Amino acid sequence: MSATPLLSVRHAEKHFGGTPALVDAALDLLPGEVHALMGENGAGKSTLIKILAGVVNPDRAEIALSGQAVSIPNPQTAFDLGLRFIHQELAVVPQLSVAENLFLSHAYPRRAGFLVDWRRLNQSAKTVLDQLGIAHIDPRTRMARVGTGDQMLVKIASAFVTGDRQTPAVYIMDEPTAALTSEEVTRLFGVIRELKLQGCAVLYVSHRLEEIFQIADRVTVMRDGCVVGSALINETSSEKLIRQMTGRELSQTFPARETPLDSHIVLAVRNLATEYVCEVGFDLRAGEILGLAGLAGAGCTELLRALVGADPLRHGEIRLDGETRADLTPVSAWERGFAYVPEERRSQGLILSRSIRDNITLPHLQKISRGGILLDRRSEEQLSSVVGASVRLKAIGPRQTVRELSGGNQQKVMFARAMSRTPRLLLLDEPTRGVDVGAKFDIYTLIRQVSAQSVGVVLASSDLAELLGLCDRILILREGRQTAIVAASGLSQHELLTLCYGDGDRDD
Amino acid sequence: MTTDASIEQTAARIQWGRLLRTSGTLIGFLAIIVFFTINIPNTFLTVANWLNISQQVSMLAVIAFTMTIVMVMGDFDLSVGSMASLAGIIAALLFRDSQPVIVGVLVALGVGLLGGLFNGVLVSYVGIMPFVATLGTLTMFSGLAFLLSGGETIFGRDIPADFSGFARGGIPVGMVGERTLLFPNLTLIALIVLAVVWALLEQTTFGRRLYAIGGNAEAALLGGVRVRLLRLIAFMLTGFGAALGGLMYASRVASANPTQGAGLMLDAIAAVFLGMTMSEEGEPHVLGTLIGVLILGVLDNGLTQMRVDSYVREILIGAIIVAAVTSSSLAKRGR
Amino acid sequence: MRRLAVIAIVLCIVSIGFGTVAAQDAPSVAVITPYLAQPGTQFLVEGFEAAAEDKGWNVNVIDTAGDVAAVISRIEDMVNQGVDALVINVDPAQVEAGLQIAADASIPVFGMDAGSNPLLVTNVTSNGYAMAAETASYVVDRIGCAGRVVMFVFDPYPPVQKRGIIADAIFANCPDIEVIDRITPDVNDGGIADSRAQMEAVLAANPNTGSISAVWAAWDQPALGALQAIEAAGRENEGIVIVGIDANPQALDAIAAGGNFEASVAQDFSGIGAATASAVERVLAGETITQSVIYVPTVLVTNANVGDFLDN
Ligand SMILES: Nc1ncnc2c1ncn2[C@@H]1O[C@H](COP(=O)(O)OP(=O)(O)OP(=O)(O)O)[C@@H](O)[C@H]1O
Ligand SMILES: [Mg+2]
Repeated sequence: MSATPLLSVRHAEKHFGGTPALVDAALDLLPGEVHALMGENGAGKSTLIKILAGVVNPDRAEIALSGQAVSIPNPQTAFDLGLRFIHQELAVVPQLSVAENLFLSHAYPRRAGFLVDWRRLNQSAKTVLDQLGIAHIDPRTRMARVGTGDQMLVKIASAFVTGDRQTPAVYIMDEPTAALTSEEVTRLFGVIRELKLQGCAVLYVSHRLEEIFQIADRVTVMRDGCVVGSALINETSSEKLIRQMTGRELSQTFPARETPLDSHIVLAVRNLATEYVCEVGFDLRAGEILGLAGLAGAGCTELLRALVGADPLRHGEIRLDGETRADLTPVSAWERGFAYVPEERRSQGLILSRSIRDNITLPHLQKISRGGILLDRRSEEQLSSVVGASVRLKAIGPRQTVRELSGGNQQKVMFARAMSRTPRLLLLDEPTRGVDVGAKFDIYTLIRQVSAQSVGVVLASSDLAELLGLCDRILILREGRQTAIVAASGLSQHELLTLCYGDGDRDD
Repeated sequence: MTTDASIEQTAARIQWGRLLRTSGTLIGFLAIIVFFTINIPNTFLTVANWLNISQQVSMLAVIAFTMTIVMVMGDFDLSVGSMASLAGIIAALLFRDSQPVIVGVLVALGVGLLGGLFNGVLVSYVGIMPFVATLGTLTMFSGLAFLLSGGETIFGRDIPADFSGFARGGIPVGMVGERTLLFPNLTLIALIVLAVVWALLEQTTFGRRLYAIGGNAEAALLGGVRVRLLRLIAFMLTGFGAALGGLMYASRVASANPTQGAGLMLDAIAAVFLGMTMSEEGEPHVLGTLIGVLILGVLDNGLTQMRVDSYVREILIGAIIVAAVTSSSLAKRGR
Repeated sequence: MRRLAVIAIVLCIVSIGFGTVAAQDAPSVAVITPYLAQPGTQFLVEGFEAAAEDKGWNVNVIDTAGDVAAVISRIEDMVNQGVDALVINVDPAQVEAGLQIAADASIPVFGMDAGSNPLLVTNVTSNGYAMAAETASYVVDRIGCAGRVVMFVFDPYPPVQKRGIIADAIFANCPDIEVIDRITPDVNDGGIADSRAQMEAVLAANPNTGSISAVWAAWDQPALGALQAIEAAGRENEGIVIVGIDANPQALDAIAAGGNFEASVAQDFSGIGAATASAVERVLAGETITQSVIYVPTVLVTNANVGDFLDN
């Protein structure tokens, strides 16, 4: 502790229109250290990071770099000071190429003084991508055509573009792994370890405890805008951290099935194919939870989109309660009792500019209004409060704008929307992405409870523990093709991963 | 370094900032009223003058209110001005053909709905960007108006007194000296349209869904909103409003001319933009549009009464719009 | 606060610049037109302003940039403001709603080349009958009350229709004049092209020298079209006399060139403006004007005096 911190923050404070986000936060980043920052959704982690990035104006903050007091009024200053950020919310320009996105905040390489040297730009981009082990992404493809996981990787990579400046010293990563598969996480960790060796400091935010214990040297816990503790990683434990974060004891065991499976088949899929998936077929029984597992780009998201009618079917059949549904669209799907949580909360899930209430009731307006026409705001708000509380939504009230919520709380709004009327079929795509540990287990309990009411559940997740803990069976997809359906009980994470990779492709 | 007093100051500043972001335009509007009241002491702040203003802006108001509906979805309709002209021409031609007033009016409104339907099909089913699609129909409607009228102004005996008399009439509400004060029919129509659009956008599931589309069309679609159908309906309503505004105009000038509505489109968009500066999220709301329309109308009325040169008046009005939108976006940037 | 500051500054500038202009006792008159951008209207307004300045009035010229409904709005505003008189330059039938309001408030409204309307005190304009009489009698004089004449008329538009009536009467008064064709050209293309085509047909039907003595047009465009047809047919030396009305720049050029296009009639726009001002003055002095139209003399333009007009 004798070394001068590379970065130190004291008395960071921020209010948003009267409600406190940061009360009095302090943090030290030592050279060569990976410092984990943990806390429940809405604890103030991202706010602290955005202050360091010059994105949010603090009410008050004392920031020092290597002992020298600095102020960071805008992102350019942060960049010039050698701070690099991976922010929680994906911000890419879909119209531009991968290479252009990587170099967005840098000067493009020039030719003849003013022409962009595209060859060199693409080459430098390739170098950065190679370094992260993601050479499969072509720097010239348009960002819009790149999958969500890969987009996240590109965003991460953009923090490693150094340009012609000195090597940056501090990396700050806000939930970089929330949208990554375990393989991608491993690669990112390799890069982080290298940064450590170079003497850089890394601030790392994640809700995944096992990651923290893998990569971090020290962990700081925040609660309600304050730092409530900081410890070396080998002096703490999961239980301790959870207690510090939530203030309660929490069992980390998945809720077990308590009712036997129904024999009724809710959803039958036969030989289904869309532009992105094919050869999919399964029967989902009432009360069953079916997992979807696969590597990045394997087609889990696309299969769910096909089931909800968002992508047109090439051929095949979807039968709901024995009746063939050829004309499925998201509208008719919700009307028939499907409930769907899409993968990407900001681009596909939420209306950020509207209130929690508006977001939660959007698919249910027909039922919850007067005659399907006149709004009934009181019932809407009652419903929103109730389902919001059931997922531990941290908000001022149902009328708060979703944009103002922390990332994890935005995710909870989407889940609350799907759960606000008991569905017939629940389609979940990464439902706990960015959700804190405590709320995650509440969500698991809710999924279990709703499945006990003869609801069929299809759950896609990159969190293998989640799949194994909740599902009855797991459907494996590889390159858009269904390769197996296996029973979950007795399966280990390693075995599941091997199934995802396919036979003998790889074993580690 | 930081004292308690300065913390309180910051907190106060934050509150003020939030208030200014959303009510700055309203405060500006009130300031304009105060200014004219001081400078035109005898005639500005009178019932008669405000009834005048309400009547003067009524056509613009109807078009701006219904324009708000498509702008809620983040779309535009550039064709409203030429639709207004076309509606006037169609009604006038039917009148010339000695059709009853009601027939002319209904047919013209029907043409408004049809034109809106056409816009809606292009935008939501064919998938053309609203700016391009309605730029195209702007020219089409205008060409049609010229073709039907032969480029002439239809006026005089061709326009029945029942039709032109409507714009001059009103409901007697009192006396000023020996003159009866009328609550103008045109104002009444604008108020009815305001009430309907407000109820539609703020109180119905239809409006809620339109705002959802405007916020994030993809999310709305995946959340079970019939995006295409609703967009189509919204464009039809805007087309209807444009035709209604055009008929009001024709009634007021007792004539129809293939270009007379052309100026309304930009003013309507300006009014909606002024209104958007009053919402935290920059969404259009019809009550905000009302303030926008009134700002334009009051400036015209007050500056005329103050004898400001017509061209200077135009520059001033433009400058005030730019100032309102700029300052509101600056305020929003400094969060 | 920024926005308030901006608006306050803008309004201060306005109030300094304009708020203090209006002196209290001088009569104030507003001139309202949607057509200020057109040259004729500019001469009208300048003529009016010059005369009004001599009389020491406060004149407020308002242009609504083509928007006729805004003329009504501005009339309402000026009535509300209590001006002493209003002058409009727009078809009064289209702004009757505003005229009624002015009448209710007993504010006199004058038409300046506007059209007649019972709600106007009077309308000051050129005499359409007189203009037609000037050119028709010019033709009669030139061809010695005998010959074959082609007429271009446009009866659907009343101000032009009355010109045709007068020419008909004057030609009918010469027993030896025969009107061989009375043509209504299609005006959608501006009037020149179709008139030329029609004239070509007439020329073809009357191929002999001397079979056409004159072309009388109710306005300049058909006259120009006829001129083109005659020149294209190579018959410019047959002494065919062409006359138009309005003296537009193209017609003036043709007259100055000394060809078949011999005469047109110029309206005195600034004279109309000045005459409107004196009508306003008479009414403000308490006089009642009984003429519903006041005519301002027009000038026949020929090769002899065309130079005076080309200078302008
Ligand atoms: N723009 C804003 N306006 C109002 N409140 C805000 C805004 N941004 C954040 N907040 C509030 O500040 C608090 C802290 O949010 P922050 O995003 O820092 O949480 P977090 O710790 O990153 O949570 P998560 O784990 O969910 O990402 C939350 O209660 C949030 O609602
Ligand atoms: Mg966060």
